[in-house]
Amino acid sequence: MSAALSLILIVAAAYLAAHVLFEWLARRYRIVSGAEYLVLGVLLGPQVSGFMSEDVVASFSPIMTLALGWVGAALGMNFYLPRLIKVPGSTYTIAMMEALLTFVFVSGAMVMAFSFAFDLTYAQVILPAVSLGAIATATASSAVTLMSGETPHPVVQQLETTSLLDGAFAIVVFGVLLCVVHIDVSIGERALTATEWVAITLGIGVIGGSLFHLFLGRERHPDRLFVAMAGAIILASGAASYLRLSPLLPCMVIGAILVNTSVNREDLMRLMSVVEKPLYFVLLLLAGAAWQPSRYDWMLPVALYVFVRLAAKLGAARLAARLGDEPELLRADWGRGLIGQGTIALAIAMNYSLNDNEIVPNVVFTAAIVSVLVTDIFGVRIVSGLIADRFSFRRVVGG
Amino acid sequence: MRRALILLLLLAGMRLIQPLGENAPSSEALLAFGFLILAAYTVGEIAYSFGMPKLVGYLLAGMLFGPSALHTVSAEVVLRLNPVNELAIALIAFMAGAELKWEEVKEHGVGYFKILGAEMGLTFIALVATVFFFRNSIPVLVDQPVARVAVFALLLATILVAHSPAATLGLLTETRARGPVARTSLGVVLVSDVVLIVLFTIVAAVSRAILPPPGGAHLPGLGVVVWEIAGAFVVGSAIGAAVTVYLRFSHRDLLLFGIIVAMLGAEIARLAHVELLLTILVAGFVTENFSPHGRGEAMRHAVERAAAPVFVVFFALSGASIVIGHVVALIGIVAPIAIIRGLTIWGGTAAGARWAGMEREPRRHIWTGLIAQAGVAIGLAAIVANFYPELGAAIRTMALAVIAINQVIGPIIFRRALGAAGEVDESMNGDLMGVTAGGAGGEEQGDEQGEHAKA
Repeated sequence: MSAALSLILIVAAAYLAAHVLFEWLARRYRIVSGAEYLVLGVLLGPQVSGFMSEDVVASFSPIMTLALGWVGAALGMNFYLPRLIKVPGSTYTIAMMEALLTFVFVSGAMVMAFSFAFDLTYAQVILPAVSLGAIATATASSAVTLMSGETPHPVVQQLETTSLLDGAFAIVVFGVLLCVVHIDVSIGERALTATEWVAITLGIGVIGGSLFHLFLGRERHPDRLFVAMAGAIILASGAASYLRLSPLLPCMVIGAILVNTSVNREDLMRLMSVVEKPLYFVLLLLAGAAWQPSRYDWMLPVALYVFVRLAAKLGAARLAARLGDEPELLRADWGRGLIGQGTIALAIAMNYSLNDNEIVPNVVFTAAIVSVLVTDIFGVRIVSGLIADRFSFRRVVGG
Repeated sequence: MRRALILLLLLAGMRLIQPLGENAPSSEALLAFGFLILAAYTVGEIAYSFGMPKLVGYLLAGMLFGPSALHTVSAEVVLRLNPVNELAIALIAFMAGAELKWEEVKEHGVGYFKILGAEMGLTFIALVATVFFFRNSIPVLVDQPVARVAVFALLLATILVAHSPAATLGLLTETRARGPVARTSLGVVLVSDVVLIVLFTIVAAVSRAILPPPGGAHLPGLGVVVWEIAGAFVVGSAIGAAVTVYLRFSHRDLLLFGIIVAMLGAEIARLAHVELLLTILVAGFVTENFSPHGRGEAMRHAVERAAAPVFVVFFALSGASIVIGHVVALIGIVAPIAIIRGLTIWGGTAAGARWAGMEREPRRHIWTGLIAQAGVAIGLAAIVANFYPELGAAIRTMALAVIAINQVIGPIIFRRALGAAGEVDESMNGDLMGVTAGGAGGEEQGDEQGEHAKA
């Protein structure tokens, strides 16, 4: 089957799935929309039906890269400073501690697990283990968002902030990691250092954001806004991918610059959301189709990752609340609300597997997919259960 | 000044990045795509400030940054971005079909054929005569038998009578021109595609009889052509009917749906071996004219929105595929051919329009919409080059050089003519490709409001 027809069928399947079946499922059973596209992708891919060959999936890598960039920019657009400064400082402290603790705990555990299970050296397993640590840190915002409109409670604000910072933390860690392990590229007589690659990554984002402004000035026309925004994101994604860097980080920087400096913030966010949904569906489907079982014995490490992440999230949240002096308000089990994985986790895993020189890419990708599948199915229910508990808690305290 | 600075920054950025990356066209394609969107858009703005259509700016950007000049975008990457071209052509065809109203076709259809008959006939004869006249200036025809010269002249003339629906529609969308000149030019250009396919088939048969191609190569036969045209109506109508049924039940996410329809339609046309442009055009026509509650129009607006950034890259890629060296090398022969083509289009269109009973004022300007050439002509040139390896290659080189001139000059004179006829919507002058304000999200918002109202 030709690549074009495959892409059309993918988009058509995603489109129909979104509007006919899965939205209904999501509403009725409170399943976060997303996991089902992954399953659909796996079913269409070379591992199950063979409807899409490996070559066809590989030919979509520019679209996957673009989708990654868009995911990064969409997250960056949540960093609107005038809104963020209204959030208490302690909320950020707790969120950052939770992210850091989860990352350290999962990375450490996976270093042990990989070196033991695959007979690899510590130096070899650092990259996949730390990548999984970053992936584990990411929290699905969709589950929290679904509940946040319904319930104005401090724990919801904590969950929203933590979810946002978790995503940013994961993207930054992964972006820097790719700079650290970057293959040698020589300029003159020496190779570029990791710090220089980090500077280039951030530079792409800053230049992309600046170009947008040079382009438009105070322009408000939606078409110009769209072309300038799309052009900046595509250029940054393409540049990052071309340089074997993560497109997520520079595009997140672009998103943050745009939302804080543009006079058309609302228009930009609206335009962004119009494209984000179909691109996200395509990303999920292609991620599912690109999945392949590892030649390593992956079952145990993947199961271990899912378990360790769960434990890390719950434990890190509890510890962070205690260290942040908010154990009364948040209570010990507020980490239940952070269990969902979602877009960012999947995007990082996809990014990891797109860089062909990585070690055990299929194990990392499989772990992320399994975790996303498991947690997205139960994510909203867990969050809604948590919120319901908090309301009864508040009523008891108040009465 | 600001725009020049943007271009400099973009170019400097590309120059810095390119040595650091892997030398693989696949990974460079996305980078080039982003670069072309921003660079072409900027050059379009610069061109506009000099009174030229933005579309010409996009073409010039492609020529400037393409393989012929600065080589910022390589020939391999241009090939890699071919899917963007295909999507653009499908979107253009859908929009063109949706622009046609049933009442209008009934009222003016015969007139379009009269104009086209006079214009194409005169141009074709004049171009054949020109090739015979300049035969000793064309290296491949010097001291060659008449049969060989005749085949060269017939095939080159067939390629050069082609028009460009993409350029015409692109300019009409940019200027949002409405009126008899805009409407008639578009109608004639769209009909010309069908006529051109028939003409090409006849000329191919005649050429085969005069000068059999080496290696038994085949140009399309009559049966194939009949199916290509008739099948396009059948397949296009089926796609249009399916879209109409869909719009009866749902009108959400039309932006995405429009892209899917265009891409799926193009792929179905390819699989069914029917004429792609005509298939999607018919699908657009059926959707626009037979959808309930003005939803066809909503669909057209959604497709227009999706087309905006794609158009920019499409015309930039068209510019990038122009080989400037060939144009310069052949200027002594291609310039007279382009001038004669322009004059005969002017004369033929004027005669045809008079025959069709058109009023004097629009009659003066219609020819300007028929000068531009692009995708269809380039496609025919490629077929001819495959058919006659040596002679065909010379025809293609010369045709591409003439097309390059027409591609740049056509939109400029058409834009001026539309302005002189008072058909340009001056309020849309700052627009990217003439899409109405409201934003991509406007449609979504409207949809959502509709859903809320239903709830």
